[in-house]
Amino acid sequence: MMQLSFRLLLALVVLAVALVGTGNGQSLQALQKKANKDKDGLARLDINLFMKHVVSETKDYSVVVQLTALSPKYKCGPCKSIDASLRAVSRGWKDQANKNGRDIVFASLDVEDGEELFQQMKIDNIPRVMIFPASKGPHAFANPSPREMSLSPRTSSVSGMASKLSELFGIEIKAHVPVDYARYLMNAASAAAALYALYLVYKHINLRTLGRNVWAIASILFVLLMTSGFMWNRINSPPYMGQTRSGDVILFAPVNNQQYGVETQIVAVSYAVCAMCVVALVRHVPKIQNTDQRNFVTFMFVVALIMTFSYLNSVFRMKMPAYPFRMLLL
Amino acid sequence: MAYKVFGLTASDQTSLLRIAILGLISIVAVGSRLYSVIRFESVIHEFDPWFNYRTTRYLVDNGFDKFWNWFDETAWYPLGRVVGGTLYPGIMVTSATIYNALHLVNIPVDIRNVCVFLAPAFSALTALATYQLGKEVKNATAGLLAAAFIGVAPGYISRSVAGSYDNEGIAIFLLVFTFFLWLRSVRLGSALYGALTAIFYFYMVSAWGGYVFIINLIPLHVFALLVMGRYSNRLYVAYSTFYVLGTLASMQIPFVGFQPTFTSEHMAALGTFGLIQLVAFASYVRTLVPSDQFRMLIRLSILGLFVVGFGGLVLLTMTKVIAPWTGRFYSLWDTAYAKVHIPIIASVSEHQPTAWPNFFFDLNMLIWLLPAGIYFSFRELSDNHVFLILYSLFAAYFAGVMVRLILTLTPIVCVMAGVAMANVFEIYLDFSKTKAEAENMAVATAPAEKEKEKGKSQGGAGEPPVAVAAKTLYETAGFKRFYALFPKIVVVANFLYFLCMFQWHCSWITSSAYSSPSVVLASRGPDGSHHIIDDFREAYYWLQMNTKADAKVLSWWDYGYQLAGMADRTTLVDNNTWNNTHIATVGKILASDEDTAYELARRHDVDYVLVVFGGMLGYSGDDINKFLWMIRIAQGVYPDGFKEEDFYNAAGEYAIGDTASPTMRRSLMHKLCYYRFHEVMGPQGFDRVRKQKLPKDITLDNFEEAYTTENWMVRIYKVKDLDNYGRSHHAVSAFEGPRFKNDFVF
Repeated sequence: MMQLSFRLLLALVVLAVALVGTGNGQSLQALQKKANKDKDGLARLDINLFMKHVVSETKDYSVVVQLTALSPKYKCGPCKSIDASLRAVSRGWKDQANKNGRDIVFASLDVEDGEELFQQMKIDNIPRVMIFPASKGPHAFANPSPREMSLSPRTSSVSGMASKLSELFGIEIKAHVPVDYARYLMNAASAAAALYALYLVYKHINLRTLGRNVWAIASILFVLLMTSGFMWNRINSPPYMGQTRSGDVILFAPVNNQQYGVETQIVAVSYAVCAMCVVALVRHVPKIQNTDQRNFVTFMFVVALIMTFSYLNSVFRMKMPAYPFRMLLL
Repeated sequence: MAYKVFGLTASDQTSLLRIAILGLISIVAVGSRLYSVIRFESVIHEFDPWFNYRTTRYLVDNGFDKFWNWFDETAWYPLGRVVGGTLYPGIMVTSATIYNALHLVNIPVDIRNVCVFLAPAFSALTALATYQLGKEVKNATAGLLAAAFIGVAPGYISRSVAGSYDNEGIAIFLLVFTFFLWLRSVRLGSALYGALTAIFYFYMVSAWGGYVFIINLIPLHVFALLVMGRYSNRLYVAYSTFYVLGTLASMQIPFVGFQPTFTSEHMAALGTFGLIQLVAFASYVRTLVPSDQFRMLIRLSILGLFVVGFGGLVLLTMTKVIAPWTGRFYSLWDTAYAKVHIPIIASVSEHQPTAWPNFFFDLNMLIWLLPAGIYFSFRELSDNHVFLILYSLFAAYFAGVMVRLILTLTPIVCVMAGVAMANVFEIYLDFSKTKAEAENMAVATAPAEKEKEKGKSQGGAGEPPVAVAAKTLYETAGFKRFYALFPKIVVVANFLYFLCMFQWHCSWITSSAYSSPSVVLASRGPDGSHHIIDDFREAYYWLQMNTKADAKVLSWWDYGYQLAGMADRTTLVDNNTWNNTHIATVGKILASDEDTAYELARRHDVDYVLVVFGGMLGYSGDDINKFLWMIRIAQGVYPDGFKEEDFYNAAGEYAIGDTASPTMRRSLMHKLCYYRFHEVMGPQGFDRVRKQKLPKDITLDNFEEAYTTENWMVRIYKVKDLDNYGRSHHAVSAFEGPRFKNDFVF
C-alpha cells in the first residue's frame, strides 16, 4: 500500500512540476549551489527544493538522496552510519577528476526539513537512500523511475555503497574516506605495548615452563571463539547489538540463524565459565583439605555451572521458541 | 575385590558390563535414527542419496565391471557423465556387499532397505569406534561416555538418519576408526597397525571426499610432534607405513588417481614424509657424531633444506606442476573467496558459516565440555593428546566456516567431552576413600557423645533423659556421613541431570529437525490431523508413466538426481555440479523471456520443463526463492544477458505480483510458476510463501502445461513442437483463442 501511495504522490508532484516548468540548467545549478555549501558536497534539501529539482520527471542529471533523521532527539543510529557512508561517497565524487560528463548530485533530506513530506509519503522507516536517475540527455536511464537502494550490511558500508552506485551509473565512483590518524596512533600504541609485553615476558618468564600453559590458553581461546560463531561474524559482519523501536538495547537476535556481534562474546564467556567450573571441580576442589570449605566451594561451583548452563539454555529457547526444555524455570 | 557374582570375577563383571553398555548404546544409536521410517516409510531422502541409490541398484543389477565402466548418457545431456570415474564408490560397494551377503544366506532383503538402513547400522559401528578411541586416549570410562555421546549427538545424526543414504553415513565411522588405528600405531610403533590405518584410510578415500581431512591432519600431527622434539622410532614406523601404503592404495580410486602426487591438498603429507626421513637420518647420525659437531651439522642442514624445499615448492607451484587448491577447499581458508568467485558454492545453504545457535543445537552441553577436554589433554600431553588438540582446533575452525562441517567436529567433541566427564566421574564417583573418611568422622563423634553422656549421667543425675535425645541434627553420625559425602552427591546429581537433559535434547532435535525425508513432506492441520504431501513422487511417477523413455527434462540442478532416480528420465544438469557452464545455461533458459527460452530449450532437445512451486502450500524452498541464485550463476557465465537488478522492481523489491519488474514478469520461471495459478486461488489470491498478491493474465504460448501435482508443488510443462504451418506459437494461440476459456467457472 505504501508503495502505491508513494507512486501516486510522485505522479502528482511530477505533474505540478511539469506545469511550473523549471529550466533544467537552473535546477542543476540550484542543487549544486546547495551542494557546494557543504564540505562533503552533500546538498541539504528542504521540501521545496526536493519537489522542484529532484522529483521532476525530465532532467538530465541524477540525484542520490538520503531520507534521514540526524537530529539526536530521534536516536537513529543507522541514520548516522548511512550518512557517514554517503558523505564519504559524495566527497569522493566531488573530488573525482574524471566524471565522464556525468552530473550526479548527492543530497540529503532530513525529517526536520520535510516533515510533511515524510508524513504524506507515509515513510515510517528511515534511513533510506533513493536514486532519481536522469531521464534525458546523453546519460539518460532506460528506466528513469526513481528507485531505492536496498540497505544491506554490504551496501551500508562505504565501499559497498560506492560500488553499488558505480554499478548503477556505469561509472566508477571512488569513495573518499579521510585518514583516521587517531586509529593509526591507537594501533601503533597497542602494537608497541604488545611488543613491550612480549619483551617483558621474554625477559622475566621462563618460557619452557610456561610454554604448555600459553599454548593451552591460546588453543582454548581459539576453540571458544570458533564454536561461538566468530567466523559467522567475520563473514556476515552483523551489527554489534540490536535495538528496539523505543531504543532499548537487544543483546540477542531473536532468530535462530542470525546473531549480533555481542552474542559471540557472551556465549564464549558462558562456555568458558562452564568449562572452568568442570576443570575446577576436577583439579582444585579435591585438594582442599578442610571439609567445610570443600563442601562450600563444591556447592558454589555446581551452582555457577548450572546457572550458566541454564542461562545459555534460556537464550537458546528465546532464539528458538519451539524448544521445549527449560532449566531452573528459565 | 573378592566379590563374585554368578561365579564371575570383578574384571569379568566389568567387561560384561562394558559389552552390555556398548550394546545398549548401539541400540539407542540405531533406534533414534528411525523416526523417519516410522513416521513416513522406508524411503531414500533428499537429493544426493538418490544418486547413490540409483548407482547402487545399477551395481547390484549389472555387476562390478559394468559399474566401473559405466558411462551414463542420461545425465548432463548431451554431455553425459563417466559415472565410474567420477564418484566415490565406497558406499555403493558396501551396500552391494551387504546385499549379496544377505542373499547368500537366503535373506531376500530389498536393496532399497539395505540402503535406507545402512547409515543407522554404521552409526552403531561409529559408537564402537569412538569407544575404542576414547579408551586409547584415556580409559574405558571416557570411551563409554564418548560412545554414548556420539550415538545420539544431533551433529552426527543430521547426516545418518535412516534413509539418508549418503557418503557421510559411513565416512564418519571410517574417520573415527582410522584415527583410532593411527593413534594406536603411534603408541605401539606397530607396522601392523600402520598398515591397518592405511587400509581404513583407503576405505575412507573410496567413500568420501573428506578423506583430505585425514591426509592433512595425520601429517600435521607428525609435524607437530617433530617440532616438539618428540621424534621416536615408533612415530617413524607408523607414519612411513601409513603414508606409503595409504597413498598407493588411495591412487587406485579412479576419481582420486594421481592427485596425491601433484595437488596442494596432498602436499603436506608428502612433505612430512620427506621430513621424517631426514629426521630419522639425523637421529641416526647423532649416534655416530659427537654432539657439538652434530648441532652445527643440523643447523646448517635445516637451513639448507628449508631454502631448497621452499624454493622448490614455489617453483613447482608457479610452473603449475603442483595444482593449486581447488575452489571448495580454498574457500575454507579465504572465506570471502566463494562469495565473490564461485556463486554455485555460496548458493548451497550448508556452505554458509555457522552461527552459535547451530553449535548449541547440534552439540548442546558437549560444546562447553570441549574446552575442558582440551585443558585435560594439555595436562597430560602424550602423543595421543597432541593429536586430539590438533583435531579440535582444525575441526572447530572448519565447523565455524561451514555449517556442514559440524559433522567432522562432532566425533572429537564427543571424545573430548567423554574425557572431561570421565575426569569428573573418576573423582566424584569414587566413594572408597570418602566412605572411610565419613566413617572416621562418624566414629570420631560417637565416643565424644558417649563421653558426654557419661559426664551427664554422672554429674547431673537429676536431668531428664529428653535432653540427651535432643542433640542437634548436624551432630548425628548420619549427618556427618552425609556431610563428608556432600560434594560427591551434589556433583554427581548435577551431571546426571545434565546427561538426562542432553538425551532429551538430542531426541527432540532428531525427531523434530532431522527426521524429514524432504521427498515426502508432512503437515498438520489446525485440528492436529496429519497430512502427507507427496507431490514430488507424484510428479516423478507421472513422468515415468506418461513420457517417452528418452524424454529430456529440464529442471534446476537440485532436482536432477531425483529425476534420474525416480522418474528415470534424461536430465540436463544434476547435483553433481561439475559443469558450471551447463548449469548457467539452464539458469539462462529459466530466466530468459519465453521466446529466447523456447529457442534455447529446443536447441538442447528439451521435451519437458519441471519447476517446483510452493505458493500454494507455503513451501519456501521452491524455485522462485532459488531464482536469484539461478540468475547470479547465469550472469556469471553469460554477463551480456540480464542483470540481477532487472529482477527487482522500481522499489527495489523482489516482487512477483503485478508490481513485479517487467524482466521478472517476462521470465520463463515466473510464467511457469504462476501460469493459471490465480484461477485456483481466486481473484483475491495470495502467494503463501512471498505473501504477495498474485499476478494476473499470464500468457504462455511456447510451452504447454502437461501436469501439475495435487498441491501445485511440481509443475511440468511440455515444450511445444514447431507448428505444422510454420507459424509462431504466439500467432497460433492468437488464432485459436485462450485454451482454458470455458473450462473454469468460478
